[in-house]
Amino acid sequence: MNKPIMDDTTGHDTSALALAIRNLDFWYGSNHALKDISLDFPARQVTGMIGPSGCGKSTLLRILNRMYDLYPGQRATGEVLFDGRNILSPSLDVNVLRSRIGMVFQKPTPFPMSIYDNIAFGVRLHERLSRTDMDQRVEGVLRRVALWNEVKDRLGASAAALSGGQQQRLCIARTIATRPEIILLDEPTSALDPISTARIEELLDELKQEFSIAIVTHNLQQAARCADRVAFFYMGELVEVDTADKMFTAPHAKRTQDYITGRFG
Amino acid sequence: MMESPSTITVRDGVAMDTNTRGWFGDLVFGMLARLAGWFILLVMAGIIIVLVSGGWRAFSAFGPGFITSTAWNPISDHFGAATSIFGTLVTTLIALVFAVPFAFGVAFWLVEMAPPALARFIETAVQLLAAVPSIIFGMWGFFIVVPFMAHYIEPVATHYLGHVPGMGLLFRGAPYGTGLLTGGLILAIMITPFICSVMTDVFVSIPAVLKESAFGLGATRWEVMRDVVLPWSRQAVMGGIMLGTGRALGETMAVTFVIGNSNRLGWSLFAPGNTIASLIALEFPESSAGSLKLSALLALGAILMIISFITLACSRIFLQRGVSN
Repeated sequence: MNKPIMDDTTGHDTSALALAIRNLDFWYGSNHALKDISLDFPARQVTGMIGPSGCGKSTLLRILNRMYDLYPGQRATGEVLFDGRNILSPSLDVNVLRSRIGMVFQKPTPFPMSIYDNIAFGVRLHERLSRTDMDQRVEGVLRRVALWNEVKDRLGASAAALSGGQQQRLCIARTIATRPEIILLDEPTSALDPISTARIEELLDELKQEFSIAIVTHNLQQAARCADRVAFFYMGELVEVDTADKMFTAPHAKRTQDYITGRFG
Repeated sequence: MMESPSTITVRDGVAMDTNTRGWFGDLVFGMLARLAGWFILLVMAGIIIVLVSGGWRAFSAFGPGFITSTAWNPISDHFGAATSIFGTLVTTLIALVFAVPFAFGVAFWLVEMAPPALARFIETAVQLLAAVPSIIFGMWGFFIVVPFMAHYIEPVATHYLGHVPGMGLLFRGAPYGTGLLTGGLILAIMITPFICSVMTDVFVSIPAVLKESAFGLGATRWEVMRDVVLPWSRQAVMGGIMLGTGRALGETMAVTFVIGNSNRLGWSLFAPGNTIASLIALEFPESSAGSLKLSALLALGAILMIISFITLACSRIFLQRGVSN
């Protein structure tokens, strides 16, 4: 994972790429939703994806873990290179892929089981751990997302009883428990209050020490705060990608400028 | 209508507090709704009173022995409920054993795997199956299933399972075709649509994002179903199964056709037997008013109702425990 998969087309830090998209096209039936996308995701950085609704940014995220496979009529062409392989290849084991590229959704989605089992569920799918090892894993990830102190006395309680912000942190804990290399976040704070949002953003900053993160967000301030690099999508096209600093201070494209200054969106 | 000429519309900001419009309709509607609610209780009480008072003679003549006795002799006026209670419970159990996995398989396939167009077609077929009158199942069972069981299933089952210690007892005996197993199978086919429709409905209603979360962790379709969908929909699924159980307990016509109608108690699932409902259906026309036999049949009816109540109560308790966990 540390070796570069390909040269970075944008001439940015090429020391390590977690994932590289090359000439990706995507269709919902006959609707051409993504057009010739090429984008790099540097390792251990946060890549933000912004753009107006329907621009294809969430679609792109769902390609990266082959979630679109679940639905007939959706198809992708091109290459998404991860660990030396094209993940769009039909021969790829999607279950293993999804354990290595985790996903967190817009709304917290705790499973109908206890807090402990919510985390153990994903781990059990891929590893056989002893009770002690599992306990350690659960505690470790809960500490990681700063939830341990809040739930350590009620690990057996239903996860549905947690607050929205706690549930979302639980979902992140659940995702990192399978030890993925990449975490995909699809507007992870859009259903949360400002305080919970701030805690998730802090968490992202901490998690990027270890994980590569791709985050879709509607919130431009959030992208500016969290992301190292930002990609702007418009009508299924990747308009521009650059460091967050440059993107929000000196964008190249007129459309990017219009969007970030609030002229449309 | 009782509309008074002085009514002023609310928009004019006047007479907001004078409720002159519609009070009569409200009153009538309220009364009717209340009446409908109480009427249900009345019907319920009426049924129980008729069954218990009608069956009282049998209960007092035979005492608690009525439930444990296997006798059914109209000549000597000896009646017992044990055989038909046994038959009712066994056929229902057989029906559930086959119907629940079958219905689950159909529902899982329809919701998760089948191409949408085909799924719609099959769903309609499932609903149509639920609408088939039970007499049709009875005739079909008698002419198709019974010979099939007699010629193929029962001899083969005896050959392979009849010698297994313990369990073999269930699969011995002459392959008549009619019997408890056939009755249970017909019931299974009849209750599958009910269970399946409920399962399909709840599986569809699960938020896609919840399933995607599980898929996102690398779970397979089966793991998502077992660990996320089923726990999430446990209540409704149990409700569907209970719906089927209730139908199986009381189903009369189809069972009467294929169960053999013999008042014998034994281990063999191939042996002819009866159920409470089939026994009542067969014997009722031949019972004279005021006879002890008629009283025994009404007592059987009361017992069937009690069994149904217990089933319902069990499901409630079970579900509540499931919720609090």
